[in-house]
Order: sequence, then structure tokens, then C-alpha cells
Amino acid sequence: MIICMFNEVFDKNKPRVAYKDIVSWANSIPYHTLIKKKNEAENLFKKIGITFSVYNNFDSAERLIPFDMFPRVITKLEWMTIQEGVIQRSLAINAFLRDIYNKCEIIKAKKIPAELVFVNPAYEIKMVGLKVPHNIYSPIIGTDIIRTDSRSFRVLEDNCRTPSGVSYMIENREIMMRMFPELFEKINIEPVENYSSYLLDILKSLAPRKCEGDPKIVILTPGPLNSAYYEHSYLADTMGVELVQGSDLIVEDNITFMRTTQGKQKVDIIYRRIDDDFIDPLSFNETSVIGVPGLFHSYKSGYVNICSAPGSGIADDKAIYTYMPDIIRFYLGEEPKLPSIKTWRCSKPADRKYVLSNLEKLVVKEVHGSGGYGMLIGNSATKTKINSFKNKIKNNPDNYIAQPILSLSSVPIFKKDALTPRHVDLRPFTLLGHRKRRLVPGGLTRVALKEGSLVVNSSQGGGVKDTWVLKN
Amino acid sequence: MLSRTAENLYWTARYIERADSIARLLEVAYRIHLIPNTTEGYQNEWESILAAAGIKHNYLNSNSDITKNKIEYFLLFDPNNSSSVKACIENARNNLKMVRTAVTLEVWNAVNTWYHELANYDKVKYDSKNLPQILDWIKRQVNLIKGTINNTQLLNDGFDFIYLGIFYERADFTARIIDVKYYILLPSSSYVGTQVDNFQWSIMLRSVSAYRGFKWAYGNSQIDYKKIIDFLILSNMCPRSIFYAVDKIQYHLGRLTQFYQSDNAANRNVKIIHKGFVNSNAEEIIDFGLHEFLTKFIDDMSTTYSDLEEVYFLGTDR
Repeated sequence: MIICMFNEVFDKNKPRVAYKDIVSWANSIPYHTLIKKKNEAENLFKKIGITFSVYNNFDSAERLIPFDMFPRVITKLEWMTIQEGVIQRSLAINAFLRDIYNKCEIIKAKKIPAELVFVNPAYEIKMVGLKVPHNIYSPIIGTDIIRTDSRSFRVLEDNCRTPSGVSYMIENREIMMRMFPELFEKINIEPVENYSSYLLDILKSLAPRKCEGDPKIVILTPGPLNSAYYEHSYLADTMGVELVQGSDLIVEDNITFMRTTQGKQKVDIIYRRIDDDFIDPLSFNETSVIGVPGLFHSYKSGYVNICSAPGSGIADDKAIYTYMPDIIRFYLGEEPKLPSIKTWRCSKPADRKYVLSNLEKLVVKEVHGSGGYGMLIGNSATKTKINSFKNKIKNNPDNYIAQPILSLSSVPIFKKDALTPRHVDLRPFTLLGHRKRRLVPGGLTRVALKEGSLVVNSSQGGGVKDTWVLKN
Repeated sequence: MLSRTAENLYWTARYIERADSIARLLEVAYRIHLIPNTTEGYQNEWESILAAAGIKHNYLNSNSDITKNKIEYFLLFDPNNSSSVKACIENARNNLKMVRTAVTLEVWNAVNTWYHELANYDKVKYDSKNLPQILDWIKRQVNLIKGTINNTQLLNDGFDFIYLGIFYERADFTARIIDVKYYILLPSSSYVGTQVDNFQWSIMLRSVSAYRGFKWAYGNSQIDYKKIIDFLILSNMCPRSIFYAVDKIQYHLGRLTQFYQSDNAANRNVKIIHKGFVNSNAEEIIDFGLHEFLTKFIDDMSTTYSDLEEVYFLGTDR
């Protein structure tokens, strides 16, 4: 089941065309210059405050995300494929969300089992029958893409709740331009800095029913302890909108206001970066202290829009993922432009049997897990771990899916004075508004820094790279 | 502007100013330590530092004796001290982190660098020998931050909240340190006007970095406490005087009422306090009682802070 690793940069020790200039540049930098630049870059990240917090990490509350200076390149042609694929997926996801909270046609058509939707913890019963502004449930979608050979990109995961990482995409570019301006003179690279203005434009188009005039937009953050806080403040800053916490908002007579030095001010659109559960203690988790009492009622009454809509998370559930090709066909009448990865559902007896007897060849994931936690990578796991997963799957089969161990494609990192290959993935960010779609050419490339590792999550020792989409 | 933004900016500035004050206080302690211990009254300088910072009680909770090294450590880094310089820097940064988009990148960088450099001093075991270097670093960073604020911040309402924080802290600190010196330190009223007394006053001038300024303003005449009261309480030239701080507070509150086109109790009451200063003189204050005067001032200012809080930081309609 192990598919051979695809090297994006070298083809039998010779650099591919797109990487020619970069490889000769990388080989020409003296080691000491590289070290100097690396320190410089790290100091910049630290100075600007681009840090992230790791949960359960008590000794260092704030860490730098490791940044590797060897860029990841995507040709124009490759980008076209990716772009079409992620837009298609994002449209299908929004159509799916609209359907399962209203007419449920896909279930009536028996394309997807009813219990997978209705019994799913991510299905939000309070959203049923609710009219969502402009029918956009999830306007910001991050799609995790991996590459397995020279031709095919595949979707590993959809993120349609509150995908993060876009600030790294932009800051990585800033740092690279500062460190190595000569590369940007030589190579024609698509800019990514427009992201914030695209996002603002998209959000503005999603005004709720009872909004008059220019909508007032805010970003709702759980606060500075959140791992993505830097990103929240970055986006607020570059969009020129307020970054609010739950305590800054009040709801009176179903209208949402923020507390300002000039008294209450009406809010129309909330780009929320807090989870569904915490949005409103009156409607959801009553112990939430970061939410806003009454916010959901304000949303239901059409005074405020919450982006993404509560309950959007069901679309990026790993159990739903396995049906994504059918979802695309059902709503758009098209074949998926980006293939998914072969997935076994442990809920199905035949699949379960296969999974249990082939664990050492598979990656097993929790259906509702994220961030690379609660995962088994069969070929590198200990006997004990495999056995414990065996039991877990037997006890609660619905909670697990399995996929082949795909060797993600590789791009080298600078290691000492040599380039050594490491696995990468890619997360572009698709924006959908009212009759608008926007996609910045680029994305976040995450890289596994440990040799042979397939886990690219920053919470588990992954790093990032600047991603270059070539203009020609 | 969000109410919380205003409040965070205010507290960021207060903590920056407070770190600066503590550094200056420690500098005085360092000076005293270099002067031979011949005249009576010197020893309690260490205690006075704690008293002036308002943390004597707190210090004695975690320390059995009063020694130079321990006090320095306590004021700079001790995790048991919630108003150490370290705590001030962390609080300033935490407040600013919540509203980092309300300041320029340069201001954020200045504060953030300060925070990261703190680790260089904090991770090694504290050694008294490094005190001058540490104090220089604190003061240099504070000046850098304030300079960056002046040079890069937009002069909008946020700017006013920052300066309100700086000057509320300064007014409070100067008032307290004068009060401590005069009311607590002098062993008895018979010392007034003696060598010890004058020495104490000169120390106090130094502790607010106004020693040179005093000499410039009054020439080389003998230091006496009327002049000191005049200089540290009523002068509009001395940037560390109480009146100077009140004057700035009045200015920034006035700007806010113009900016928002609505008057409020904080602005009105600060105006009254300001007027009281303009119409006062050193004799009058001494007649009223310096301690009584300062206590009343601290109370009045804290009332105006409550007004300020209500009108700007709660963010409800008024």
C-alpha cells in the first residue's frame, strides 16, 4: 500500500525546470550566510510576534513556528488544477450544508446515510430550517492537499469551520522578500498580499437581512491565549476591522452591539474564530465564558451574520469526507477535479475487517479529531500501539476511518549545509461570498521537519515554507 | 474605538511607566549604598524603597530580613511580587497583545523586544553587580517605547488613552513617594530642616530623576522642602511633578471630549483639581498639611479614574 514518494524538486538528481534557479541559488549560498539569514528571519518572526501557543505545553507558552527558507514552487498549470478543484469543493460543501439543514435531498436520494448526518455531533439541530444570509454557510475554506506523483494532487482534508494558517502564508512571503530580494527579481512569483482585501470584500458581500448601509464587520477571537491569536489580530489589522472578544459584544433586543468609547455600536457581520460550542452560552455550551449571550438569537433574527455559520463543521467531518466525491456529483453534476484518498470506514463490516487485518499498512484517524492528534501511522507504530488501536476500533468502530499510508511528496529543507528532502502538504484558502469567489494564488506549505515523518501539524513539530505560484 | 482597546492601551502605558518608576527607585537605593553609612537615618532607606513602592508588607511575607540584594531581586524579578519590573513588563505586553492592532508595528516591536530581552536577565541567578546595567536597560527601553509612541502613533483617541495611563501612574507615584518621604521617613518633626532632612529630600529628587532639574530651576541654593514642594508638586516645568501630570491628564481628557464631542464627569473633575493647583502655593500646602494634601489628591484622582472608567471603558450608553 505504500506509494512511492514523489520528489517535487529533483528528478533523478537533476532539478526540475521550475526549480532550476532556486536549486542553483540554494547551492550557491555559503553556509554561514544561511545561518545568518536563518537567525535574521527568526528574529523577525519573534519581533513581529508571530508565535503560536501549544496546548498542554506548560514550559513555553509561546513558540516560533519553524520556518524553512527553501521555497515550495507550484507551476501555473498545477495551480490551475488546484484552483478549479478547491473552488468546486467549496461550492459543493456550501450546497451540501444548505441541503442538510433544509430539504435533505441528498439523504432522500440515498447518496449519504441519514444517521451519518443527523447523529453526527457536528450536526447543529438549531440550524435546521434557518435561512442563512446569501446561502453561504462557510465562506472561508482551507483545503489540505497532498501530492503523490507528478500529475495528481489529492485532497486530504477540508477545513470549513475556522481554518487557520493564512497569516503564515503572507508573513512567510514578507520574510522571504526581505531575506532574498534577488530571487524575486529573477523569478516571476504571484503575490499573496491581497488576501486581506479579498476577505474583506467577501465578508462585506455577506450582510444579513436587517443590515442597513455599509456593514460593520468584526473578528471574534477567543483571546490572546488562543494558538492562532496572532492571525486574528493580523487579519483585523490588515482589514481595518475591530478584533473583539466575547465580552466586547452585547445583544439587546436581538441586536448585536460592541462596547466602544462612544457607547454601543451596531455590529453586522462577525467573522468568528471561536468554535460553535462557545459562540453563545444561552444557545450552546452554557459554560462558555468567551461567547456572547443572545448572539444566536440575534443571528436568527437576521440582525447579524456569523461566518462561518454554526453547524458548518459537519462538512469537514472525516466521515463525511469519504462521501465528498458523491456530494460534488450530486450538487454540481460534475466529476471531482481533485481526487480524494481511498478511505475505509470502520463502521462498515467489510471495511473494518480489512482495516483490522492490515493495520501496519494504514493510517487510522479519529472521525472527529484534528490537529494530528489521536492518529495511528501503522508502519511506524509500536506493537502495543497497534494493539491498542485494534481494541479501540473494535469497541467504537464508527469513530474511526483508515487510509493508505501515502508518502507525501517532498521538497528539501536546509539542514546543516545540505538540502535534505522532507514531506510537505499544501493548504490554499478559498473565499466564497455573495456571487463572488476569490482565491489568492498560493497557500500554506507545511513541512514535516523530522526525517521520514508524515505529520506536518505545527502542534507536532511541523514547520512552514513560503509557497510560490509561478506567473508563467 | 472598542472600550477594551482603550482600557488595554491605558494599562499598557501604566505598567510601562510603573516599571520605569521602580527602576528609578532602585537607582536611588544603589546610590545610597555607595555613600558611607555615617549619618543616622540612612539605614531605613532600604525600607523606604519598599514603602514607596507600596510593597513592604508583601516583601516581608516572603522574606525574613531586609537586605539590599533581596530587595533588588524582589523589586525586579521575584515571582512573589505582583508589581515587580518583570510583572510590569509582562502585564504591559499582555495588555498590548490584546490590542496590538491599535498601535503601530514599531510600538509593538519596542514593547515585544523589551519582553523578550527580559529573559536574558531573568534566566541567570540575580547578581547585585549587574544592577546598574539592568536599570539602564529598563530605562532605555522605556524611553525607546515612549519615543516610538511619539514618533509613530496616530494622534487619535488611542494616543490619549496611552498618555492618560502614563500620567495617571506618574501623578500617583510622585504623590506617594513624597508622602512616604515626608510622613513615614522623618523620625520626628525635630528633624525638619536638618542635614538628615535635606539629604532625604535630595534623595527623593533623584528618585524621580529631578535632581538636575531642580538645580537648573533653583540654582545652587540650599535644598529646602518649600522649594521641593514647589518643584515636585506645583511646577509646570518639572516633568515628574504632580501638577505636570495633572496638566497632561487635563489636556488628554479635553482632547477626548472634543474628539467624541461629549463632556463627562472625569473631564470636569480633573479641571477642578487642576484649578486648585494653579491657585495654590507651597505655604498653603504646608498649612493644610502635606500628608493631608497628598492623601486628598490621591483620593480625588482615583475618583476621576472611576469616572473615566465608567464613561470610556464600560462601553454602555450614557
